[in-house]
Amino acid sequence: MAANYWASTQRRHWLFTRERLAEIRESFKEKDKAAHSQFPLPDQRLLNIYFNQQLIKLGKRMATRQQALATAQVYIKRYYTKNEIRNTNPYLVLTTAFYLACKMEECPQHIRFVVGEARGLWPEFIAPDVSKVGECEFSLISEMQAQMIVHHPYRTLSELQPELSLTSDEIALAWSVINDHYLTDLSLLYPPHVIAVMAVIVAVVFKPSSQTGFHGSAAPIAGAMRDGGMNILAALGDKGGAGPPPRIQKLIAWLAESEVDIKAVIESTQELVSLYEVWEQYSEKNCKELLGRLVKSKSLDK
Amino acid sequence: MSLTNPPSSSGPLSATTRPTAATVSQSLSLKRSLQAAVEENSRRQTGTGYTSKVRVRDKYHIVGFISSGTYGRVYKALGRNGQGGEFAIKKFKPDKEGDIIQYTGLSQSAIREMALCSELDHANVVQLAEIILEDKCIFMVFEYTEHDLLQIIHHHTQPQRHPIPATMVRSILFQLLNGLLYLHTNWVLHRDLKPANILVTSSGAIRIGDLGLARLFYKPLNSLFSGDKVVVTIWYRAPELLMGSRHYTPAVDLWAVGCIFAELLSLRPIFKGEEAKMDSKKTVPFQRNQMMKIIDIMGLPNKENWPGIVHMPEFNQLQSLAMSRAPNHISRTSNLGSWYQNCLKNGGYSPASSVGTPGDDGFDLLSRLLDYDPTTRITAQEALEHPYFKNGGPISANCFEGFEGKYPHRRITHDDNDIRTGSLPGTKRSGLPDDSLMGRAAKRLKE
Repeated sequence: MAANYWASTQRRHWLFTRERLAEIRESFKEKDKAAHSQFPLPDQRLLNIYFNQQLIKLGKRMATRQQALATAQVYIKRYYTKNEIRNTNPYLVLTTAFYLACKMEECPQHIRFVVGEARGLWPEFIAPDVSKVGECEFSLISEMQAQMIVHHPYRTLSELQPELSLTSDEIALAWSVINDHYLTDLSLLYPPHVIAVMAVIVAVVFKPSSQTGFHGSAAPIAGAMRDGGMNILAALGDKGGAGPPPRIQKLIAWLAESEVDIKAVIESTQELVSLYEVWEQYSEKNCKELLGRLVKSKSLDK
Repeated sequence: MSLTNPPSSSGPLSATTRPTAATVSQSLSLKRSLQAAVEENSRRQTGTGYTSKVRVRDKYHIVGFISSGTYGRVYKALGRNGQGGEFAIKKFKPDKEGDIIQYTGLSQSAIREMALCSELDHANVVQLAEIILEDKCIFMVFEYTEHDLLQIIHHHTQPQRHPIPATMVRSILFQLLNGLLYLHTNWVLHRDLKPANILVTSSGAIRIGDLGLARLFYKPLNSLFSGDKVVVTIWYRAPELLMGSRHYTPAVDLWAVGCIFAELLSLRPIFKGEEAKMDSKKTVPFQRNQMMKIIDIMGLPNKENWPGIVHMPEFNQLQSLAMSRAPNHISRTSNLGSWYQNCLKNGGYSPASSVGTPGDDGFDLLSRLLDYDPTTRITAQEALEHPYFKNGGPISANCFEGFEGKYPHRRITHDDNDIRTGSLPGTKRSGLPDDSLMGRAAKRLKE
């Protein structure tokens, strides 16, 4: 339930294995091979980066918080496990997910205002009439079977702060790692506490020495993670690891006692590393063009 | 788009209002109008639009109308196609622009209720069967409950007052607190507990209903106050809310439980105030009359029994209220003890009588529920461990166990109102002696 992740609909209905997720996506492709070859789209993660940037723009002039954006991103992901993206107007889905997430996270925005903002950003894809968003809201809620309460890792992170005496730098970095994990499939694959633990480990182990400041993304640490990190991660599995400094040893000791699924933590760290690798290919222009062509050719905005 | 603040909504399954003769033809015309409305909407749908994968009328047979409120209407239904059982379908009315029903975005309370009901699962919380979004309407399909506390209390005033047996009160209260503990441990505040929202199945199980105002209370992004300025039907509204508190807590629900406990014993609302209307500037007025009703029984709150009171936004209002009365016209100390003794006496509650008595333990629990100070008010967890429940033997999960009487079934009407206009008042109870105030008192503000 709301406080109990273990009994939640998120755990019961919205957690997938990698295989299942791949199967779902393959079945979309099978169903409409023509559309897939006619409308190629960037890597899912690159699209997610694009969606996230658009969401941030949309939320800019409204009093929204990170958690509402995170919830919107989860809604979009859930929706696209039920619907082929090539049959939707992603800009409409994005706007609607944002509108719905704001209500759910108790920072509601009026539909007219949301549509107005969305139209300001993407005039060619969003109709002035609010009924499109209203209709898409039905579709979103229906596909999610009204299971709209999302458990985020942010809460676990703040619970871990005193327990692991994390510094404010570490918290800030872990927070950005959590922000970044929504750009991957991780929120459909692992429970929020696994992600929170992963974020803490990344923050503590790979803390960049220079104060570069991480606004929004933790991508700058990607290099460090690639180069030296994986062997430290390997040490997490091996409780007796002698090498790492005391700060990290303490973390390892805590992990060993905590019964957190270490394998899942390591896998999600790898997922994050590969996100930062693929990020280098990101081109906003490319995403925009491909999506624009899709929506316009198929008249998905009508 | 409805941006006005409509009158109160009733519980999803609350007792219906007008006794209307049910005739076959009326029932048929109700069904026809429902179907006509549905078909009309589907014709309007375009190819690319949203269409529901499940259709309400394919799965459920509507047998009658239960109640209505600003949110829409509640119907009684039977499952079709081998899906047995009785259901209460709560239909949220769509907004209209002119004659055409438009998608205008769902209300936050509908969103909350859908999300929470999908997540909750407890024997003492109303059970959701499914949600169907179809033709611009939301249909929330709940299990059907035959009774509710409002109807049970009312039954005990007819034809003359006869008390609800003490064991039944104890079972009701235990189950209610048990459901509330579940909600609170899951960070859900109900915020609108009242007899009409406490549903009772024919096998005597209590189900907390109407989560339309419920919300999660951990780390709210905005103050819990900002979303909807006033919550909880005024008679059950906690003193800290009346005093303008912005940071309210699960304690508001426990105050309401105290009020319900008292009402089960006395068969009358314990604090039956009149709601002060909001002025044209939409500022929330100080609820002087309601506060006075509480003071009459509980005494004037002070720094001793409520240290935080001096920091309450309406503290000055309270002081001027106290000053405006002659000293001997305002009670400085609690009269709850004598209220309770009177109540037992009038109800015929005693160890020797057939209805039994809630006794001194009952009084202690009541006074802990009606504690002015929200920080010391008993919690659901503590209340369940109170001697009132610990002493006096086992508590049945069937509140009707050992009860000889029979309660009437929920009234189902078959009169044909246009199902697309849900403008009927919410919790109005015609025929009840206390009806005159109910329409006004039940009003509250929704976002």
